[in-house]
Amino acid sequence: MVVGLLLVGTLGILARAVYLQILNKDFLQDQGYERFLRVMEIPAYRGVIKDRHGEPLAVSSPVDSVWANPKKLLQYSDRLGELAHTLGIKTAELEQRLQVKADKEFAYLRRQVPPEIAQQVMDLHIPGVALQREYRRYYPTAEVTSHLLGFTDIDDIGQEGLELTFNKSLQGIPGKKRVIKDRLGRTVENLESVLLPVPGQTLVLSIDRRIQYLAYRELKAAVQENKASSGTAVMLDVRTGEILAMVNQPAANPNDRNQLRSEFLRNRSVTDVYEPGSTVKPFTIAMALESGAYRPTTLINTSPGILKVGRNRVRDVHNYGLIDVARVISKSSNVGASKIALSLPAEKLWDIYRRLGFGSATHIGFSGEQSGVLHHYSHWSAIGHANHSFGYGFSVTSLQLAQAYAVLAADGIKRPLSILRLDEPPRNEERIMSAATARQVRTMMEAVVSDKGTAPKAAVAGYQVAGKTGTVHKIVDGRYTTRYLSLFAGMAPADHPRLVLVVVIDDPRAGHHYGGQVAAPAFSAIMSGALRLLNVTPDVVPTVNMASVAADRARKP
Amino acid sequence: MLKTATPRSPTSLPAPDLWLWLPGVLLLALGLLMLTSASIPEAARQGQPFYFVIRQCFFLGVALLAGLLTYRISLESWYRYGPWLLFAAILLLVLVLLPGIGREVKGSARWIGLGPFNLQASELAKLFVLVYVAGYLQRHRIALQHTLETMIRLLVVLGLVAVLMLLEPDFGTTVVLMITALGLVFLAGVNVWRFAALQGLVIIAMGLLIYSSEYRWARLISFMDPWADPFNKGFQLTQALIAIGRGELFGVGLGASIQKLSYLPEAHTDFLFSILAEELGLIGVLVTIGLYAVIVYRAFALAALAEQLEQYFAAYLAYGLGLWIGIQALFNMGVNMGVLPTKGLTLPLISYGGSSLIVMCVALALLIRINGEIQALHDAEKPAGAPVRAVAGASP
Repeated sequence: MVVGLLLVGTLGILARAVYLQILNKDFLQDQGYERFLRVMEIPAYRGVIKDRHGEPLAVSSPVDSVWANPKKLLQYSDRLGELAHTLGIKTAELEQRLQVKADKEFAYLRRQVPPEIAQQVMDLHIPGVALQREYRRYYPTAEVTSHLLGFTDIDDIGQEGLELTFNKSLQGIPGKKRVIKDRLGRTVENLESVLLPVPGQTLVLSIDRRIQYLAYRELKAAVQENKASSGTAVMLDVRTGEILAMVNQPAANPNDRNQLRSEFLRNRSVTDVYEPGSTVKPFTIAMALESGAYRPTTLINTSPGILKVGRNRVRDVHNYGLIDVARVISKSSNVGASKIALSLPAEKLWDIYRRLGFGSATHIGFSGEQSGVLHHYSHWSAIGHANHSFGYGFSVTSLQLAQAYAVLAADGIKRPLSILRLDEPPRNEERIMSAATARQVRTMMEAVVSDKGTAPKAAVAGYQVAGKTGTVHKIVDGRYTTRYLSLFAGMAPADHPRLVLVVVIDDPRAGHHYGGQVAAPAFSAIMSGALRLLNVTPDVVPTVNMASVAADRARKP
Repeated sequence: MLKTATPRSPTSLPAPDLWLWLPGVLLLALGLLMLTSASIPEAARQGQPFYFVIRQCFFLGVALLAGLLTYRISLESWYRYGPWLLFAAILLLVLVLLPGIGREVKGSARWIGLGPFNLQASELAKLFVLVYVAGYLQRHRIALQHTLETMIRLLVVLGLVAVLMLLEPDFGTTVVLMITALGLVFLAGVNVWRFAALQGLVIIAMGLLIYSSEYRWARLISFMDPWADPFNKGFQLTQALIAIGRGELFGVGLGASIQKLSYLPEAHTDFLFSILAEELGLIGVLVTIGLYAVIVYRAFALAALAEQLEQYFAAYLAYGLGLWIGIQALFNMGVNMGVLPTKGLTLPLISYGGSSLIVMCVALALLIRINGEIQALHDAEKPAGAPVRAVAGASP
């Protein structure tokens, strides 16, 4: 009987084994798969952002993040001290972080640590602690491109700037793979790729890194020298509408996230609007020339330097007397511009401003881009009409101003702007004014940079510059103040312009505030460097003092 | 052949029985192999991948020495020292309960610390008590069949041992020992009906014990339907069943178990069989059961022969050891497969654990020794056809 019972028991066990291993295996195996088979995301490599010559501006490099299974790790609380020490955080903080997620199986301990720290953590062999591969964005050009590119968050998702605008194409599509994991979440075996990750696309910008550096350096110097609060500069390629440089001050290094503050992040070229002041006078003149009522030599009486418009007055700095249209620009006469504008329908001025792009955003990919304000002419009063002629009563961004100047530079043709490198010239060009008008206005603007104009400091040796200064009273709390915005917008070479540059220095406090004294020198430095970098043929045969050249050569090592 | 040859003398023993030592050695080898496979992931997490393997190898060395030593001890000595062994068993079971001597692990005080190693008191106690019971049955064989009193005296002793074991608590070992001992009593020829009544009493007592303890009740319930609460009470068992189910006919292959990767708790001790079933499949399970079956069958055949030769102590001890090994193996496999409640019983000769390994090797060596003596006696009897001689402890 005892033998019989043993036999029955043995047979029972055998039957059970057959049941479990043959008959019920599918159920049990499915249960197993549910527990250890996981579909894991394979992070897609975020696309590189390059300049027009392929130089990297933003790259993602692999890093490790340290995470833990709090349930497991809390059982080894005696080891938290050395772990916290290695990670460089406080023990109490680590413990608190674990306690918060005590019932979870995943908690980051420290993200994106240097490789040597990750290795040290792993060498501690603390149960429940593991690494996770992630990508961290690195910006080789740091603050020089920070406003333009923006940055990504810790999950490498674009938060600002071009990183945000083009996030979708940069990000790529994460892949999926089926893996077997042990109970602590570590991958034991990669079974199969369910979906291969699609790496993000490379973004090639129209920016020329060399010009960007140069512009940044010169802008920074000008802002510091003039004790200004901020500044911005935009350079366009006239032939294509591509943005070659876009720099701002103040700035911070985007690789150090502790430095990121909004005032350092704003891409002021597109986010800050201001009344453009005298810099739009060339467009008033262009409108007048286009109307056929004026020629460059038409005389205008600006005496006595004050113009009554209703109950308001328009003033010039000096009484320029009887001057021709060209000198309205070179002398920057508000009275002259007002008289010309008021003699023509308001609609004409509004129309040319509108078609130049004022009042509407470029929509070429900048997050937070402002459109500025250009009221419909039907809302303009007489003084409003006059004000619009010399740059008050409406607002623009530096990018819009540069775009408008590019129209003058391109013989009256407006080309869509681009922050991406164009492999073929843009198609939808629009003629805003006749080529003759554009050339005439450019000639007038050459005088601005002459010794008799308002901005001789904007001159570039070897190249004829055409441009216009602007010194704008800033509005603070709805009132004009004695704080200024110093502008210089211009192009070179004047005959066949290749480059357009706008430089804005905000609130200079070192004694000077005229655009010709504050913004013009920076314009000259940036423009001259850029023309040489791009090998633009000089259009002015320099009157060289041979002796000084010889002396220069002798000084060089 | 001259009858003066003493069967007790080791020099005159026939060669150790192949059908006992070979399955034993195969089980030990299989055990070490599976332990290596199952324990490395767990041990590697602590930084020493071969921690359990090295310790088990050391235990195996001690166990083989203990086995060799046992093989040299005559049956008569075992018989003579039976009561002392009982005393030793009770002493061990008391010691383990004393704070400062017994070491508590996971709520059970089952171990006596010996430096870096722990001695599991009830493992030794099982062997000692069986030796005692076999001796007792030999001494009171006739009386047992007629009076209740001798029976009750034995039951009182067994009851005392059971209570001490339950105090640890070690319910699994208690059940195995009691079933083995009572099976032995039955084999000794005690009246079937009286025996059945006793069995009923024991079953009722155990039922009450289970019901009275919430933790045992919870364990019992969880084994009946582990899938009802697979992440809490049924966790270990569902993981074991998954492991077994993954094995199919031929297994996932040696070393390829996934369930040993922290999924199945105690994968290297009580639930090593599940990993064996996962890696070696139904074939591996059949071979394992087959090896135990050979040992148990051989022990029973030996016992029958001894009974025939009226060597009752040898017979009862062989029955007892065979039953013990068989029942404990069945229980452990039954627990792994979810047909018995979780008990904390080792798989004889296979599971990790020094005490169990050493005691099981001693038990096997004892069986081989009994076989040697009985075979020698049998060979001595046959040609002469002489009447039965008194051997070890035949007359107290």
